[in-house]
Amino acid sequence: MIPFARYLRLGAIGLSGLTLCALAAQAPQHIDVKTLSAKIENVVVPLPDEVFDALNKLGTVNWREHVRTEKSANFMDRPRVALLLGTVIADGFIAVQAEDAPAVKEIGQRVQTLAKGIGVERSITSHAKAIIEAADKRKWQNVRQELDRTQKGVQQAMDELHDEKLSQLVSLGGWLRGTEVLTAVVSKRFSDEGAELLHQPDLLVHFQNQLQEMPQNYSVPIVKQIQQALGEVRPMIDVGNAPIPSTSVRKINEITTRLDNGIVTKD
Amino acid sequence: MNRRSFLGCSLSFAVLLAVRLAVSGSVDDAQSFALQAAEPYVKEGFQVREDYWGGDLGTGEKKAVRQQLFRGNEYWFWMGTEVERAKISVHIYDSEGKLAEQPDSWEKGHFAAAHIIPKVTGSYFIIVAVEESSEERTHWALVYGFR
Repeated sequence: MIPFARYLRLGAIGLSGLTLCALAAQAPQHIDVKTLSAKIENVVVPLPDEVFDALNKLGTVNWREHVRTEKSANFMDRPRVALLLGTVIADGFIAVQAEDAPAVKEIGQRVQTLAKGIGVERSITSHAKAIIEAADKRKWQNVRQELDRTQKGVQQAMDELHDEKLSQLVSLGGWLRGTEVLTAVVSKRFSDEGAELLHQPDLLVHFQNQLQEMPQNYSVPIVKQIQQALGEVRPMIDVGNAPIPSTSVRKINEITTRLDNGIVTKD
Repeated sequence: MNRRSFLGCSLSFAVLLAVRLAVSGSVDDAQSFALQAAEPYVKEGFQVREDYWGGDLGTGEKKAVRQQLFRGNEYWFWMGTEVERAKISVHIYDSEGKLAEQPDSWEKGHFAAAHIIPKVTGSYFIIVAVEESSEERTHWALVYGFR
């Protein structure tokens, strides 16, 4: 007869065996990343919210001072509208961080107007409404999800219209505004950990490549200025394992603030 | 070929293509399974991105995607396929090619997930693979979430 303790032991072994089956099979501890280059897919641009969440973990941030709701100029050029739409969506994430419901609602309406300007309002009306409703109920997680859906919806609609370039400008606009706020926060209370959040060299190369391939009719002055400015930013963040100094953070803030002004105001 | 038989051929081809697509599924179906794997984590506060990667792979084939991750955040990458008898895997490596995932990353048939708490901010490689499959090509999709 098997004693009870042995039953227990056998049971425990069986259970750990089952658990191990579900855990990942042994993966190589090291791979040669150079041989992977031919297989790399497109980059998914992180949401401004991803950086803001990481910033929050480094200390309290006064998000209210970065909330922006004033209406920017109205543009006719599709590339300018696309860049602006990206920055406004990023502003939505900032307003969510500040838990500023009136600002989020205004931004929801602004997104709808801008989407109309580039003929993609049909794909985002439901999301814009959901943003406003969720802000009313102060359901911030839902607002975040809807802002992400708005960006994705706009991009999908543009892709369907074979206007992928415009869709790339939306992401770029959002990244620039996110980086402007990130550098403003880090400049105010500098830390190596905060500055490290700027370590995004591959993302920068990705944007530079996209800008290089912009068709002539999308190479409006602001797009050219961004292209040139990214060239200035790159050596400051492509520093390998070295820390990014406060002087670089401030310089990147100046550059991104200048570009943001160029996006929201008329020439 | 006269106009009527040409139309007939085109129609049959379209029907066959539709049936083939319905039977074999798509990347969108794979995405539904990836999202299904992510579902329990949403309750734990993970925000799942709308954007995703997808495609198809033969058995034994791998694909690498590159993603910017931020120190301070925690990430899960969830992979899925609609081919129920397939076995898939996903693993995360840092920019130098060192395995960087947490030990609670898992694989379960046509679902797999990898968990990372980045030690540094920067680019990471997410390697997806189809280990076994009854299909010649297996659709896959990869979604991610952060908190």
